[in-house]
Amino acid sequence: MIALVDCNSFYASCEQVFRPDLINKPVVVLSNNDGCIIAANKQAKALADIPMFQPVFKIKKLLDDNNVSYFSSNYTLYSDMSRRVMDTLMMFSPRVEEYSIDESFVDLSSMHNANYDTIAHTIKNTVEKNTGIPVGVGIAKTKSLSKLANKYAKKIAANNNVYVVDTEQKRQYLLKNLKVKDIWGIGKKHAIRLQDKNVNTALDFANMPVAWVRKEMTVIGERLWRELNNVPCLELETVTNAKKGIGTAKSFGFKLTEFSLIEEACSFYVAEVADLLRQQQSLASQIEISLETNQHSAIDKQYRNKIILNLDTPTDSTIKLTKVALKGLQQIFKPGYRYKKVGVNLVHLVHKNEVQTNLFYNPHKSESDAITKLMDNLNGKYGKNKIKLATVGNRSKEWALIKEHRSPRFTTQWGELLTIGG
Amino acid sequence: MIELDKHLIKKPENNHRVQRPTQTGFSSPATHYSEPRIDLNEVLVSNSSSTFFIRVIDNSFKENNVLSNDVLIVDKSLSPKIGQLVVATVDDSFKIIKIDSASNTELNIWGVITYIIKPVL
Repeated sequence: MIALVDCNSFYASCEQVFRPDLINKPVVVLSNNDGCIIAANKQAKALADIPMFQPVFKIKKLLDDNNVSYFSSNYTLYSDMSRRVMDTLMMFSPRVEEYSIDESFVDLSSMHNANYDTIAHTIKNTVEKNTGIPVGVGIAKTKSLSKLANKYAKKIAANNNVYVVDTEQKRQYLLKNLKVKDIWGIGKKHAIRLQDKNVNTALDFANMPVAWVRKEMTVIGERLWRELNNVPCLELETVTNAKKGIGTAKSFGFKLTEFSLIEEACSFYVAEVADLLRQQQSLASQIEISLETNQHSAIDKQYRNKIILNLDTPTDSTIKLTKVALKGLQQIFKPGYRYKKVGVNLVHLVHKNEVQTNLFYNPHKSESDAITKLMDNLNGKYGKNKIKLATVGNRSKEWALIKEHRSPRFTTQWGELLTIGG
Repeated sequence: MIELDKHLIKKPENNHRVQRPTQTGFSSPATHYSEPRIDLNEVLVSNSSSTFFIRVIDNSFKENNVLSNDVLIVDKSLSPKIGQLVVATVDDSFKIIKIDSASNTELNIWGVITYIIKPVL
């Protein structure tokens, strides 16, 4: 069985953990670039006249009139809180897939003959108690079903944010109560076509002949269909062994088509992993760049590619790594696709003191090493990403940012700790 | 006041690699006995995913021996026992409360205080 654990209004919840005065109050979180609302909690969503994705200066009065608290995105805090949730989930299973910043799949296959209702409630209560972040839990035999179970858990208040599909009856009930468009991976276009064929509920879809699904919705649609019929087709993607490589592959949050934006994201991730590399005193001999569209989307054209590039000599220099990474990205990038994520993986790591020298390897510190070190020192002193390569860009607020309404980085900076007083 | 704490509390180091200076003479008799140095996190933070640090900014909790500029180590995963100090939310703000047999069971507990770091200089 697989559990999908999903944090409720994650960004707003992170802010509320440290602000008891905001419990049960409307909270929204703003994007950093143009000040749009990118996240809102239940109470804020209930105020129907607050439009999402509106520039905040236009609706500032509306927010103030309704006593809505607003924050600039504090990704440093969200990322630490996300890791806390993830670490808490690891108490239940060694196999956890971090699907996104606020959603994880947990492999429960090691628990035999378990009472899944009890497990679901234990997971939910433990995460909420230990981290302060409220979550919903869906448990089922396949990833797609557990995703639907999670959705249904939140939809009906009486479920108390938990739904377990452990009998055929419950599977049928779940699918009957969700619409085709609720299915993870079915796009708008397919949803409309299915409705035209009188396929309205998820159960109607699961009862379609498989041949039709394969013909009309390709192998991706078929995989979904099988998953809804209790046949696992999607593997859990757990993190690769950290010792062999350091990597990151995050979804953009929205689809990107522009090369320059993907380049920025890629540079940002290279800087991030290079920083980890230096912290563990290692050098990378190879860098692997991957790029992919949304494999779960049935409407988008699909493309994914990966390239492995050799570095002349093992290095930990952000500058050298970025240069090579962007060269690789250029080679695998194809215009005309809507990309979902870029991955950066540093592989064949060696310890700094154990590098094999070759004819061309100059063990003396190169110019770029000195620059990297200087950047690290300045960033350590003045805050993350204060100094960065120009390729990371100034529009890179999507990937890193600081803003005036940002809450303190309570969990990562001594100078910004939560305070208590009379 | 923040400067002071920087010296009191060292950031955790990610690896415990023991540094070995290049030795030219006799090999050290201690080679096989070296160990990573004491790390406060091992003792003070037993469950890092549920542990938070809070700075005290005034003397309003001095009856519990908590003074301004102390840093509280708070573990949200614990359930308090009688006699223990907790951080609780009362009237929309954080308060430090000692749990006794008369404590309200409705008390909104945020976490249990496990250690208090006190600057003494």
